[in-house]
Amino acid sequence: MATESLELEEEGKIIGGNQHLIVDDDLREMGKKAAWSVSSCKTGNGVSSLRDDNLENYWQSDGAQPHLVNIQFQKKVKLQLVVLYMDFKLDESYTPSKISIRAGDGFHNLKEIKTVELVKPTGWIYLSLSGNDPRETFVNTFMLQIAVLSNHLNGRDTHVRQIKVYGPRPNPIPHQPFQFTSREFITYSTVR
Amino acid sequence: MKLKQLYVLLMRLAERFQMVQLVIIFLALFTGAAKEATVVFSEAAALCIQNQYLHHGLPSPNLHMSSEDYNLVSSRNFGSEDVSPRKLKHTQGNNLRGIPGNHHGAVVLSGAASQPQNGGPSNMSFYNTPSPMASQLSGVAPPPLCRNMQPNGSNLNTVNTDGSPRSIVNSTIQAPRRKFVDEGKLRKISGRLFSDSGPRRSTRLTGDTGANTNANTAAVAGNGTNNSSKYLGSSKLSSVAPRTVTVRKGQSWVNENIEEGIRNEAFDDSCANVASTTSSSFSSDNVRSLDHDGATVLVGGVVVSGAKAVSGASEVLCLLRTLGEGYRLSCLYRCQDALDAYLRLPHRHYNTSWVLSQVGKAHFELVDYLEADLAFSLARQVSPYSLEGMDIYSTVLYHLKEDMKLSYLTQELISTDRLAPQSWCAMGNCYSLQKDHETALKIFHRAVRLNSRFAYAHTLSGHEYVALEDFENGIKSYQNALRIDSRHYNAWYGLGMIFFRQERFEFSEHHFGMALQINPCSSVIMSYLGTTLHALKKSEDAIKIMDRAILADRKNPLPMYQKANILMSLEKFDDALEVLEELKEYAPRESSVYALMGKIYKRRNMHEKAMLHFGIALDLKPSATDVATIKAAIEKLHVPDELEDNLSTE
Repeated sequence: MATESLELEEEGKIIGGNQHLIVDDDLREMGKKAAWSVSSCKTGNGVSSLRDDNLENYWQSDGAQPHLVNIQFQKKVKLQLVVLYMDFKLDESYTPSKISIRAGDGFHNLKEIKTVELVKPTGWIYLSLSGNDPRETFVNTFMLQIAVLSNHLNGRDTHVRQIKVYGPRPNPIPHQPFQFTSREFITYSTVR
Repeated sequence: MKLKQLYVLLMRLAERFQMVQLVIIFLALFTGAAKEATVVFSEAAALCIQNQYLHHGLPSPNLHMSSEDYNLVSSRNFGSEDVSPRKLKHTQGNNLRGIPGNHHGAVVLSGAASQPQNGGPSNMSFYNTPSPMASQLSGVAPPPLCRNMQPNGSNLNTVNTDGSPRSIVNSTIQAPRRKFVDEGKLRKISGRLFSDSGPRRSTRLTGDTGANTNANTAAVAGNGTNNSSKYLGSSKLSSVAPRTVTVRKGQSWVNENIEEGIRNEAFDDSCANVASTTSSSFSSDNVRSLDHDGATVLVGGVVVSGAKAVSGASEVLCLLRTLGEGYRLSCLYRCQDALDAYLRLPHRHYNTSWVLSQVGKAHFELVDYLEADLAFSLARQVSPYSLEGMDIYSTVLYHLKEDMKLSYLTQELISTDRLAPQSWCAMGNCYSLQKDHETALKIFHRAVRLNSRFAYAHTLSGHEYVALEDFENGIKSYQNALRIDSRHYNAWYGLGMIFFRQERFEFSEHHFGMALQINPCSSVIMSYLGTTLHALKKSEDAIKIMDRAILADRKNPLPMYQKANILMSLEKFDDALEVLEELKEYAPRESSVYALMGKIYKRRNMHEKAMLHFGIALDLKPSATDVATIKAAIEKLHVPDELEDNLSTE
């Protein structure tokens, strides 16, 4: 999944980041169908900077920690991967260092599913939501919350430049128990 | 009865005014059946054409008279239209089209009637040159002719009403609207055909002289064949797109002339001459009146004897008849028959771009993508700048997952013509193959903007909307496509799929049924219909349709898989396993087959076999969701095993 990475994942610590965003073919970005909101922001650096595919502008929070990014879907979706873009060189004390990901049905019953510590992240950080159990490859949820618990150098506010959320692709043929893998099947499976 | 009287009347008119072409056209229009085409294309027709040569002592007065008579006859045409629809009624689902087809036929002919007036004087210089092709290719014809020809061009467009050669085969015809839209496009296409590498977009946009002249020459040459091909157009049962035929014939003629004229000058000369002479009563009577003497005719500066003319004419008619037959059958989606018809053509004519694209299209409809790929690539070799049918080719490559070939094709098409919807459809298919559905959608919208009557672009944007799960817009796009062309079975299929996803199974059944009615040879549609029927609990019918689909195309694994699914849900496990075993032969590396078998064995509590199959399924690298499902199933399998172990140890 992640090539050219300077990533080391030990006990939830991620060092560095990836230059390029490379994701498996069978994942697709789910963020367009969600409502995004943040706990606080500075004018001019609002939530839209998180979704604009522009790494130059960022979201800047403006309140007390923890800073939250809430992603709410209209129906339960399967999510597999969260990718964040951060840049320690540019943001220094604004760069998050501890991030917690929570999932649930709404604000009232969010449960933490992952915590990571970042060490000077520069680039794309991949956070997989799968558990160890093969049955837990996906998180099936209405809402995802990304909480920035602390920043580098004990900064108060945080900068995040981009967030992407990935889930599995649906079966192109509806009401089918399994997806087709071989070329013969896929060629004949639809009329175009 | 009416028909007979009309026949008599027309024959009398013909004798009086030597308007044999007209007579034959109307005859064919009214008889409208394929076998009666023999009448049209028989010796009689050839002889009639010969008579024309011998009775060319009537110069310009003929023209004026002829125009009046056209009006007379065309009014008669309108009068007897009620006869022809009856004949055309037994077309499959083409009732509504039969009548407009005739209307347009009539409009076309009256439109054509006014052609000679404009075309006559200006054609003189064309037909005086020794070889029509030389003048076309050199583009030496003087500029003033452009202006003369322009009304001709627009008349031609009434003839070629769904004239944009880029339009797909089954687009509907609406004469007045297209007249103004397609003139420029016709010129563009013809310009491109003639000027190999030279001025393209800029030329077109500034309305370059050369391009116009070439277009007009193409129009004129097209004229010649148009008339003969009207025999075809009207003699078809499914008068779906007679005008498209004329354009295509014009193009195929033009192509043939270019590609093969050099090789077979004699034949082509006589062909071209005959072609030009068959349009004779419309245009070059002047010429012949100047050049004739006795039994031999000086046409286009080449001396052609009467007998030679007859044999040439009958050869041409024979050829056109075969082409028309093939086209008619492919419109009826009797694709195997269409292919057989095309195979009857002589090699030289088979290996032309138009015929090869039609062959490719027929293979595509039969879901035989490899053959289609072959045919289309040959077509591209023969005529690399032709855009017709290239949207279908791009879909074929999409199905075959050949992204290299597809992107190469796209590049070539875009550099040939940036303003053609086919090129953008190819590009959209390219992006869609890479799963970038949003960009693909933007591109298909561009194609739609370029030509809002290009039904396939609407259908493809519908597919993209569905991939993005935007069903509202998907439905709208498919309905747009159907509004343009109600025989576009892909759009019916698309709508069926949307309703299937939304679990509105009755709607889905109706739409799949419509699609199948239009294209009865597609095994994919049959298998989806079967799945829908099963969802509606009509499982008996479902199995029947699946068997039909399996028979229709043995290479298609989908119906077998769906059949196994249905059997499993009907709890006929043994039958399902049988089908799946067979399927293993066809597609040995398909993980879903093993996964399904594993599931069935699990249901029957044959755990070892289930484990085996699940293991193989996992090895074949299914998608992430399936991995999760399969692993979960394996876990569940273990529990009863563990229980057994515990029991046995105790």
